[in-house]
Amino acid sequence: MIQAEKLTKVFKDKKRGEIKAVDQVSFTCEPGVVYGLLGPNGAGKTTTLRMLSTALRPTSGTAIINGVDVAKEPQKVRSQIGFLSGDTGLYGRLSPREMVRYFGKLYGMSKSAIEERTEKLFDMLDMQDFADARNEKLSSGMKQKVSIARSVVHDPPAMIFDEPTTGLDVMSSRTIVQFIQRCCDEGKTVIFSTHIMSEAMRLCDKVGIIHEGKLYAEGTVHELLEKTGTDNLENAFIKIVGE
Amino acid sequence: MQLSNIVTIFKKEMTDTLRDRRTLIFMLLIPIVAIPLLMLGLSSLMVSQITKVKEETSEIVIEGESFLPEELRTMFVEAPGLSIRGEDEFEGRDLMDELKQGNFQALVVVSDGFSSDLERENQTEIEIFYDEAELKSEFAEDKIRDVLSDYKEQIVQKRMEQRDISTDILTPYTTTSQNVAPLQKIAGKEFGAILPYLIIIMCFMGAMYPAIDLAAGEKERGTLETLLVSPATRGEFVVGKYIVILITGIVAAFLSLGSLVFSLNYMVEDLLKGMSKMLAIELDVHTIILVFLIILPLAGIFAGVLLSVSIFARSFKEAQSYVTALNMAVILPAFVSLLPGVEMDYKMALIPVVNASLIMKDAISGSIEWNYVFVALLSNAVLAAVTLVFCKKWFEKESILFRM
Repeated sequence: MIQAEKLTKVFKDKKRGEIKAVDQVSFTCEPGVVYGLLGPNGAGKTTTLRMLSTALRPTSGTAIINGVDVAKEPQKVRSQIGFLSGDTGLYGRLSPREMVRYFGKLYGMSKSAIEERTEKLFDMLDMQDFADARNEKLSSGMKQKVSIARSVVHDPPAMIFDEPTTGLDVMSSRTIVQFIQRCCDEGKTVIFSTHIMSEAMRLCDKVGIIHEGKLYAEGTVHELLEKTGTDNLENAFIKIVGE
Repeated sequence: MQLSNIVTIFKKEMTDTLRDRRTLIFMLLIPIVAIPLLMLGLSSLMVSQITKVKEETSEIVIEGESFLPEELRTMFVEAPGLSIRGEDEFEGRDLMDELKQGNFQALVVVSDGFSSDLERENQTEIEIFYDEAELKSEFAEDKIRDVLSDYKEQIVQKRMEQRDISTDILTPYTTTSQNVAPLQKIAGKEFGAILPYLIIIMCFMGAMYPAIDLAAGEKERGTLETLLVSPATRGEFVVGKYIVILITGIVAAFLSLGSLVFSLNYMVEDLLKGMSKMLAIELDVHTIILVFLIILPLAGIFAGVLLSVSIFARSFKEAQSYVTALNMAVILPAFVSLLPGVEMDYKMALIPVVNASLIMKDAISGSIEWNYVFVALLSNAVLAAVTLVFCKKWFEKESILFRM
């Protein structure tokens, strides 16, 4: 379970002064449900998710992930979450196995637990054939699988995806989408951000519309369409934000 | 901070770094292969230049050749390495101008009364003109002097024989001077100058690529965020990365020290036969330990500065351009060891890089002043610690990590 409570992030810029990238955003994501943050580039999606993942500290407000406070105990939150974004890279000179092992160790897992988990993930993602090749030699689809395995090596109860399909080819983004659905089926709490309306429509059980740092509306896709009287999310978005 | 996390991070970064071709080139290939080749090339070039000049004959012109006593004229003609060109060749031209233009290497001017003055035992004069800026002209002047002083001795001997005086009275006693400096000190003076310079530069270059890769590289690859959201603390990442950079710097420095000593002792020696004793730099265990002690905090400063620059940079390329500028900031102070007359004092001992350069120079020549060594070690160690703390601060700062 992820509960954002009045999350706010202010950046200081020399030329433009203070910028409120995220302004009092609150929402709740339940386990087994895919929550989508929908908004154009620069809306504050990435900043919001970075605060959830503890990469950034909130200026004010907080989020509770599985009962742990992001602002108060970021160190504790980190083992509760898996993080993956479209531009997440790999260490080119390591193999997928070494990469997953490294992160397993960083998450404080025991050697045997890491080996067991690695085997399971590599079987599940069909990665055994290239598990010991160098990452830099892999195709983009294979690389995505390595990123996925890396993000769930510690089997976290909550998953954060920041524009996971941006910049990926059809096959790679299909792998990611399937993975998101699997996480949801396993009962994990899943939040993901996108600016692609069709993706949100296909994947999300619940959508939050975010624009200029503010959460404009929230609800199931069906509810949002009904509320705005439109037949697709794109029109609904324009209507909500334009109001 | 947990040691187990630091070890995990260190091991991973070390593996990664040792698989990086650029790092290997700077850390291993340049010290092991390029430095001996460079030394070999430089010294053989030097030797071949010197022998070539020495073996060549210098052309000289004697103005008033006919005024020379016959004996002296023959000595000039027979002198090895000298060839006399007739002054009539330059009829109507100014001989001094011809010399300046390098048409011949030296000019001897004899006055018309030279022979008769000698016979009458009047003191007389003979003039040599040469161009000191030209190595060949200098050698010509040398050879002319040799001929003239041989002839002078002959005349003196003849005159004394005529007076029945023994030539022994010209040398009431003989003097011999013997050098008491140990070989180490002579070698230190000659080559101790270049060793510290090269070692410091190589230490920096060895640490350069790992440093860029370990922080700016993380940003560029998009792996930084995955680290930030993992339970290991930012301080642990900084320390793990710092140690890797530190080690590559030290390894590069020591490999270059080893290969420099090896090439000076075993390769260059054969070429510079006469100077071989001077080149036999014997690095004993004490000197090596001292060099290690000096390199350790220096590499620590390099690692800290390079890592913080790398953390600050948005991309690999940006980090590279900062590091190029930094390179100059290292080369210039390291150059101090090559400057004659720069002596160690307490002020110098406080300046990083400069202090290491001077201490290594002294250590190689066997004249260590421990009070300066302690000051330098302490000041460098403090500075290294400051740079490490600085790295940690920056690695925890959002505005640096996510610079727009």
